[in-house]
Amino acid sequence: MTIIKASNLVKTYKDPDNSLKLFNAVDGISLSINSGEIYGILGPNGAGKTTTLEMLEGLKDIDNGSAFINSINVKDRPYEVKKIIGVQLQANEYFDNMTLSELLNLFSALYGLSNDPLELLKKVNLEDKANASANELSGGQKQRFSIACALVNNPLVLFLDEPTTGLDPQAKRSLWDLVLDLNKNGMTIVLTTHNMEEAQTLCQRIAIMDYGKIIAEDTPQNLILKHAPDKGREVIHGNMEDVFIALTGHGLRD
Amino acid sequence: MGSGINMLTKPQAYLTKVFIQIFLRNKQYILLSLVLPIVILSIVGLNDGESDPIDIGLISNSKSNLSEKFIDQLTSNNLFNVIQGSEESLREDLINGNLMVVLIIPSDMNDQIKTTNIKLLVDKSQAQFVQTIQPVINQSLLSVERDITANVPMFNLVIEDVKSRSLSYIDFLLPGIMAFMLMNLSIAGSGFNVVEFRRRGILKRLFVTPIKPIDFVIAIVIARMVIVLGQLSAIFSFALIVLDANIVGNIFSLYLVIISGVIMFLTLGFSIGSLAKTQESVGILATIFIYPQLVLSGVFFPLETLPEYIQPFAELLPLSLVADGMRSIASDGMQLIDVYSNFIGIGVWILIGTLISTKLFVWKEVAG
Repeated sequence: MTIIKASNLVKTYKDPDNSLKLFNAVDGISLSINSGEIYGILGPNGAGKTTTLEMLEGLKDIDNGSAFINSINVKDRPYEVKKIIGVQLQANEYFDNMTLSELLNLFSALYGLSNDPLELLKKVNLEDKANASANELSGGQKQRFSIACALVNNPLVLFLDEPTTGLDPQAKRSLWDLVLDLNKNGMTIVLTTHNMEEAQTLCQRIAIMDYGKIIAEDTPQNLILKHAPDKGREVIHGNMEDVFIALTGHGLRD
Repeated sequence: MGSGINMLTKPQAYLTKVFIQIFLRNKQYILLSLVLPIVILSIVGLNDGESDPIDIGLISNSKSNLSEKFIDQLTSNNLFNVIQGSEESLREDLINGNLMVVLIIPSDMNDQIKTTNIKLLVDKSQAQFVQTIQPVINQSLLSVERDITANVPMFNLVIEDVKSRSLSYIDFLLPGIMAFMLMNLSIAGSGFNVVEFRRRGILKRLFVTPIKPIDFVIAIVIARMVIVLGQLSAIFSFALIVLDANIVGNIFSLYLVIISGVIMFLTLGFSIGSLAKTQESVGILATIFIYPQLVLSGVFFPLETLPEYIQPFAELLPLSLVADGMRSIASDGMQLIDVYSNFIGIGVWILIGTLISTKLFVWKEVAG
């Protein structure tokens, strides 16, 4: 069953170099994501991944096209959509002088709900930090906490924007386990990343984005067979990183 | 306040609670926000409008009765603190700025009826000040002269306060300082907060949840209102209890002006926050907004001292409207109806502030 359906999404901005010119940060993207799937959006910096996510989340206006989550039109009823999704943002700063428990109580209250903060913290392995402030957390703990915040409304769909950027291998693995665990219980997860290993390990399907467009979409296995088939010999093919470089080129991005 | 909270939705009430909580935990900010107004009020209040006696030097080269009489007259005037000494040391004190003027009584000052020239040494850079005290010295001379010539003065000036209330200088200054403080606290509480929350991505995190911008605005306005009213009440209590200040008018009317003033400055603060892209520029914009008003709104200097052509504009400034409204009620005991024009003005500014902040603040795309 399709839970996210987007057709021809467009987001237009003024060109930062020339304010008279416009450019499409997201340029006619269509997505169809199944319930219970882990779906990855891969792309270099500035490809439009975050903008796409934020349009689906109701955080940015959809300039053109349409998006539906669980059959709710994001454009018409963004607040209804927000009730059934969980969002982890790239930036994860919180109010100073508040403990993790208090922050979770706040976020629950913003949905009109009450939750046991300890239960949520247990899910992300932070129960011993209940009375710490968010500033005292390490990078990996912060990311796990922001997932806990995204879970307060027990969402149907969880959006993760570059969840493991800047994390050490241990923290990264622990976060992957968390994501797989949540997915096992039926949660649909949409994530952006530029970590190829992550995409390959977690995602059932991947869309590769560049310059605001989807340039490839398939399972990791099929993408490798199609775009990086002859790296090794016999059974061993290239990996997702080879696919990525083959599709988006070698030039450095900001 | 309880019934007010009940009218809010759960997210609004909770967010309000959190905003107040965050503030109350910032002990340093609370302390600092109260220090400045308390210091200003204490300086004024403990002095209570009486100026310190002015130090003047006196060199007497005459031993006559007349000169003694003149010196007595001058010394008994509590405007002056007369310091006698040698010409050399007093000249030095004058140059160093320890004395404002030095009087030299010539040796030929005696009981004979003739004109005696008393030399007044001054520092010309203090010209304006010298102009003010010259008449007082002249007056002292005149009364000594009348004594000697046994003339009865033909005129006497009796000063009567037409408002016939017993108000000290602090009572006059208190509403103005409160208005100024109200402005600072409200602007800092809205404009600065919003830009900071936006910069750190906190605003975006809040809007991931199904709350609407209006929920956020309601919460921050109520929270700030509670906080600012608390701060102002603390300062008022200090002025009333410790400094023995008086409020003539109705306290509820006064708080009505204060509440409308807080709403006005919060909306104007949101406008500043909407116009500014960074924390640095919000500081500069707030300075541009606050400081001219400090001079132009009659808080510390009467509006009448401003050039004629500026006065009509100065009266319309947000701070002038609040300060004047507060002063009319607190020190002049006026009724709400008497300050209706202030309320109209405040209403117009609230409208302008709301318009700017809703038009310019990109609530939808809080990422900036």
